[in-house]
Amino acid sequence: MSEDKVKSVDKATLLMLEKARKDGVSTIFDRADDMKPCPIGAVGSCCKHCSMGPCRVPMPKKEGAEQKVGLCGATPATIAARNFVRMIAAGSAAHSDHSRDVVEVFLSAAKGEIPGYQIKDEHKLIGMAMDYGIDVEGKEIKDIAIELGEKCQLEFGKQEGKLLGLNKAPDKRKEIWEKEGVWPRGIDREVVEVMHRTHMGVDQDYKTLIIQGTKAALADGWSGSMMSTDLQDIMFDVPSPVYSEINLGVIKKEMVNIIVNGHEPLISEMIVVASQDPEIVEYAKSKGAEGVQVSGMCCTGNEILLRHGVPLAGNFLQQELSIVTGAVDAMVVDVQCIMQSLQSVSKCYHTKLITVSPKGNIPEAEKFEFDEHDALNSAKNIVKAAIDNFPNRKSEVLIPEVKSGLVAGFSHETIDYLLGGMFRASYKPLNDNIINGRIRGIAGVVGCNNVRTTHDDQHLKLIKELIKNDVIVLTTGCSAAACGKAGLLTPEAAKEFAGPGLAEVCETVGIPPVLHMGACVDNSRILIAATAVVKEGGLGDDISDLPAAGAAPEWMSEKAIAIGQYFVASGVYTVFGTAFPTLGSKEFTDYLFNGIEEQFGGKWDFVEDPVEMAKKMIEHIDKKRKELGIDKARERVLFDMEKRRELA
Amino acid sequence: MAEKIVEKKDFSGKTVKVLDETYEPGIPDAKDNWRMKIGSRDSNMMFLKTSQRYWYSDDWYGSEKRK
Repeated sequence: MSEDKVKSVDKATLLMLEKARKDGVSTIFDRADDMKPCPIGAVGSCCKHCSMGPCRVPMPKKEGAEQKVGLCGATPATIAARNFVRMIAAGSAAHSDHSRDVVEVFLSAAKGEIPGYQIKDEHKLIGMAMDYGIDVEGKEIKDIAIELGEKCQLEFGKQEGKLLGLNKAPDKRKEIWEKEGVWPRGIDREVVEVMHRTHMGVDQDYKTLIIQGTKAALADGWSGSMMSTDLQDIMFDVPSPVYSEINLGVIKKEMVNIIVNGHEPLISEMIVVASQDPEIVEYAKSKGAEGVQVSGMCCTGNEILLRHGVPLAGNFLQQELSIVTGAVDAMVVDVQCIMQSLQSVSKCYHTKLITVSPKGNIPEAEKFEFDEHDALNSAKNIVKAAIDNFPNRKSEVLIPEVKSGLVAGFSHETIDYLLGGMFRASYKPLNDNIINGRIRGIAGVVGCNNVRTTHDDQHLKLIKELIKNDVIVLTTGCSAAACGKAGLLTPEAAKEFAGPGLAEVCETVGIPPVLHMGACVDNSRILIAATAVVKEGGLGDDISDLPAAGAAPEWMSEKAIAIGQYFVASGVYTVFGTAFPTLGSKEFTDYLFNGIEEQFGGKWDFVEDPVEMAKKMIEHIDKKRKELGIDKARERVLFDMEKRRELA
Repeated sequence: MAEKIVEKKDFSGKTVKVLDETYEPGIPDAKDNWRMKIGSRDSNMMFLKTSQRYWYSDDWYGSEKRK
C-alpha cells in the first residue's frame, strides 16, 4: 500500500490498485513501473520519418561538443519541430474528425432522417447559423439547420479562403492571425499540409513548420472543436448547472452497471435514454438487478454529466480500475484515450467490452454496429447485452465507498446568464471584479492524466494554489474530474479553498471557484469565454492582454499539444507539466518558450512542480494586471458638481 | 422560506443586521435549464442582441465598438 501512495492521491484508485494486485491483474500503473519512457524520444530528438533511421540526435553531453544531426542532415531543431507539429496534426485530426461525425449526424437529424436525434436548442442554432453567415430571417428551423449543417461540412474540405469559426475572436486577435499568415483555410487541408511538410526532405525550418502547425491547431480550436461543442449543444442541450456525483463509488452493486468511455456523446446520449426506458428497466429486473446504472468515464462521461447529470465514474487512469470492481457489466467505448488493455482486464472479470465506433476497434472486443437511423433500438441492444451479462458476475465485487458531490455545466452561455440573469446577461460583473482585484485573474486548467506522475496530484496542487490566490479556474476533461473527486466543484469549496476575494464573488453568484466547462473539445468554450471578457471591455483589446494563463499539468495525448498550440496562438501563456516533447532542441524550445510571444502574444512553458507552475502563472497574471494599470487600488475621488461640470 | 437576519460588520467596523442566505437547503433533483426562459424566436433574437451582444449586436459590443 505504501508503494501506491505515490501512484495516486485518489483513495478509490489506491483501493482498486490493491484489489487488482490481489486479483493478479496488470494495470497501466504496473506497466509504467516496468517500462520507462525512451529518454531520446521523450524530448523529441528521435526522427523516424524515413527508413534510413530512426536517427537519434541527443544534445551533446559536454558543452561545446559537436551536435549530432540526422543522416539527411536534419538538425535537432528541425526534428523536434517536425515531431511537435505532427503531434498538433494528430490532435487536430482527432478533435476535428469527431466534429465531422457530429456534423454528419446533425445534418441527418436536421433532414429528419434519424428520429432519435433532434434540434433541442433552437436558440443556439440561430446564433450559430448567424456565425456562419446564414440569413435566418423568415426561415423555418429545419431549413436553417440543413443550411448550417451543409456549411459546416464544407469547412472540412475547403481549399481556399478562411475558416468561419475564427470570426468570433476579438478583432485585434484576428488582425494578428492575418499578419502572421496563420488563418486556416480548411480543416483537412491544414492537417494534410502538416503531414506533407514533415515528410522526409520537405520543410526543414522550424519557424515555417510551426506556422503550419499553428494553422492546424487554430483549425482545431476555433473550428473543429468549436463546431462539435456548438452542434452537440444544439442537439443535446446547452449545459447548465447540474448536481451529480463522481468517483468509482457511483457504481452500484445491485444495478446493471454500464460505463460509457471515450469522447463522443452521439451514442452515449442514446444509451442514457435507453437505460431509462421502462421496458429495459423491467428486463433488468427480470435478470435479478434493481435497474440500470449508466456512469461516465473520461470525456464521454463529461458530455453526459454536463447535460444530464449522469455520474462520472472517473478519469483516464481509472478506466481499467472501474472494471476491477467486478461490478461493471459492460464498458462501451467510442474513440480516443481508450486503453487496449481494457480487453485483457475485462477478461479477468465478467465485463463485456463493447466498441461502437467504426474507427475505434479493439481485437476480441464485442463490436456493435450502431445504426443512427434506428438509434434508440441500437442503444437498447447495447443495454440489453449488459443486462444479459449481469448474472455472469464471477469474482468478488468490491466497489470503493468513495464518491463526491459536484456541480457541473458551466457553458460560456451559462456563465453569462449567472452573472446577469435574463434581463442583462453579461460578463461585466466578472470584469469588474477582476479590475477591482477581488479576482486576481483567470486560469484554464485542462488536460489528461499521465501515469508518469502521481494521478490527479498535479491538477489538484496547481488548482488549489491558484484559487487560494484568488484566481478563478475554468476546467475541462480529466482535470475537471480530478477537481470533482477532491470536492473543488461545489460552491462550498470557495469557503474552504479560495482566497477571500474569489470566495466573496463565488458566494455572491453562487458558483464554485472551479468551473467545470465540459469535455476536452469544450476547451473551445474557454476561448469564447475569454473573448467575451475582452469584448465586454476594461481589460484590454485582446486575449493576450487579459490577466489569464493556461495549464495542462498532467497532459499525455497529442490532442493536448494541439490545444496548447491553439491557446498560445490565441495569446495565452500556456504551461505544461510532467514532460515536454521538444526539450531535445534548445533552439526550438527557446522559440516556443520565448520567441513565439513576439508573434502571438502567448507562449509555452514547462514546469514540473505544480506549486511552481502556479507561481509562474500568477506572476504572468500580475504582469498583465500591471500592464493594464489595475495592479494597485486607485484613490477614490468624489466629484462635486463643479468637477462634474468640468468633465462635460 | 423565512428570512434569516445575521449580524455583520460594515466597512467602518460597525455591527449591522443584514439579510442572510435565502436559498433553500438541500440538493436539487433536476438541473436548472435557464434556456427555457428565452422563449419565442423573436425573444431569442432580442436575447442574442443583448445577452450575446459581443457577437450579435449591430450597435454595441463592448470595448471594440467604442474605439
